[in-house]
Amino acid sequence: MNVSTRVEAAGEARSGPGALTISGLSRTFRIDGRELPVLQGIDLSVRPGEFVSIVGPSGCGKSTLLRLIAGLDTDFSGEIRLDGKRITGTGLERGLVFQDHRLFPWMTLEENVGLALLNGTLDQARRKAVVEDHLALVNLTGFEKAYPHQLSGGMAQRAAIARALVTEPTLLLLDEPLGALDALTRVHVQRELQRIWMQQGSTMIMVTHDVEEAVYLGDRVVIMDARPGRIRRIVDVDLPHPRKRSLPQLHRLRDQILDELTRTPEGPSENLVPFPSREAR
Amino acid sequence: MRPIDRPAVRIIAALLAPVAVLIWWQAQSAAGGARALAFVPLQDVGASLVEMAASGLLAADTLATVSRAVTGLLFGSMAGILVGAAMAMSPIVDRIVGPLYHSVRQVPLLGWLPLIGLWLGNGDGAKLLIVGLAAFYPTVLGSYEGLRQVERRYLEVGVLLGFTPLQHFTKVLLPGGLPLILTGIAQAIAFAWIATIGTEILLGAGAGLGATMSHAQAQQRMDVILVAIVATGLLGFTLNHLFARLRQHLLRWQAAIA
Repeated sequence: MNVSTRVEAAGEARSGPGALTISGLSRTFRIDGRELPVLQGIDLSVRPGEFVSIVGPSGCGKSTLLRLIAGLDTDFSGEIRLDGKRITGTGLERGLVFQDHRLFPWMTLEENVGLALLNGTLDQARRKAVVEDHLALVNLTGFEKAYPHQLSGGMAQRAAIARALVTEPTLLLLDEPLGALDALTRVHVQRELQRIWMQQGSTMIMVTHDVEEAVYLGDRVVIMDARPGRIRRIVDVDLPHPRKRSLPQLHRLRDQILDELTRTPEGPSENLVPFPSREAR
Repeated sequence: MRPIDRPAVRIIAALLAPVAVLIWWQAQSAAGGARALAFVPLQDVGASLVEMAASGLLAADTLATVSRAVTGLLFGSMAGILVGAAMAMSPIVDRIVGPLYHSVRQVPLLGWLPLIGLWLGNGDGAKLLIVGLAAFYPTVLGSYEGLRQVERRYLEVGVLLGFTPLQHFTKVLLPGGLPLILTGIAQAIAFAWIATIGTEILLGAGAGLGATMSHAQAQQRMDVILVAIVATGLLGFTLNHLFARLRQHLLRWQAAIA
């Protein structure tokens, strides 16, 4: 396993696989015979080894975007290319971590993590070694024989990350992977995730609700708008990794993005329901 | 541990009711007259138990009954799991086989007996078929429901990891549906056991605890009937217990059972 620590500034180009290009991407859902645009005209280029966070209001299609990149949903117009190859379905060069860890409850951790290797070329002994390496990477050595129900939420989510990484994908997609964790565990796994990303060197795209998490981890933060889902703005987080959570620049960026997300051009948000006032009674 | 949960206490508690029944029974048999005919003294039952055990009759009957039940159970539940799985995974099979299955299921098992008797006589074939059918019905239902309730989100993981259709079945559908499949098999064991004893009594021919009961009834040997009944009860209990242990092992990944 490649254990090079990267302290280069964000935005600095790195050669190697993991370059994602999305151009003119649109996805429409059909609900009760009506067309509902979920994503419209998405253009995005992700550099190899970059960490991109995506934030936006619910319903902006950010999870749909990840499913399209993962190849779970192929009914879209436009184009997604990974290292020049057009994406038409799922592939082991792309890993996906869901918000619910989705470990199979009927399998032990090592069985779960080894699943993606079943159809590979590795023999059984090699597979076991690779699984052990990845459990060590997410600090779960010693839990090989544990069943998912015996793990805490944070451990299960780390195991899910190991399962997604075991094929050494060039692109790892994270769909609110820490959304269901309590605040303390989340901080801990965020730090782990930063370390894993620096160790692995693969490109990562993470969808999150947590703006602080987005700026802490991301080289860039993509801010999306809802109805239809589209990219509003991309913010560069020009700070070296590993980052300290307490950096004032991070806090400034977080406040700035939060402000942008909660502000709407035409006055108060349409999402806000007027609070019933006493006078109305 | 509460006192009632101690192993020794549990065994004593479990024996209380049977011992009470035996005492009551013995009292009835000692009362004389018509009641002595209906309630054979326990020493007579004991004597015929020893006699049946010594002659090898009890062992032969037990072997015949248990092997019949287990064979029927294996074939019936295996066929049931396959049919249920096919119905769960293919809407076409579900549409074609489903209605037939659900209507045929309404005919009580013993309702098939006359027809099967005409086709296959009263030999082993007929009995095995009935036992197999008894195991078949609940396992179809268990495997159908079991495979259908496997969550989509787990199947999606399989798509993501590039599973082959066989891997989808063996790694996701089958283990995901296992709890309900095993519930179906537990029912199948109960039904198959009833069907085994029932067909042996009704079809009569050959060895088996049920056949012995039926012959003993003709000869008015209450003591023999009782030995066969007790043997049937204990064997059924053991069968269920063994399966419960197996089930617990297979489902050790479930939080509630572990």
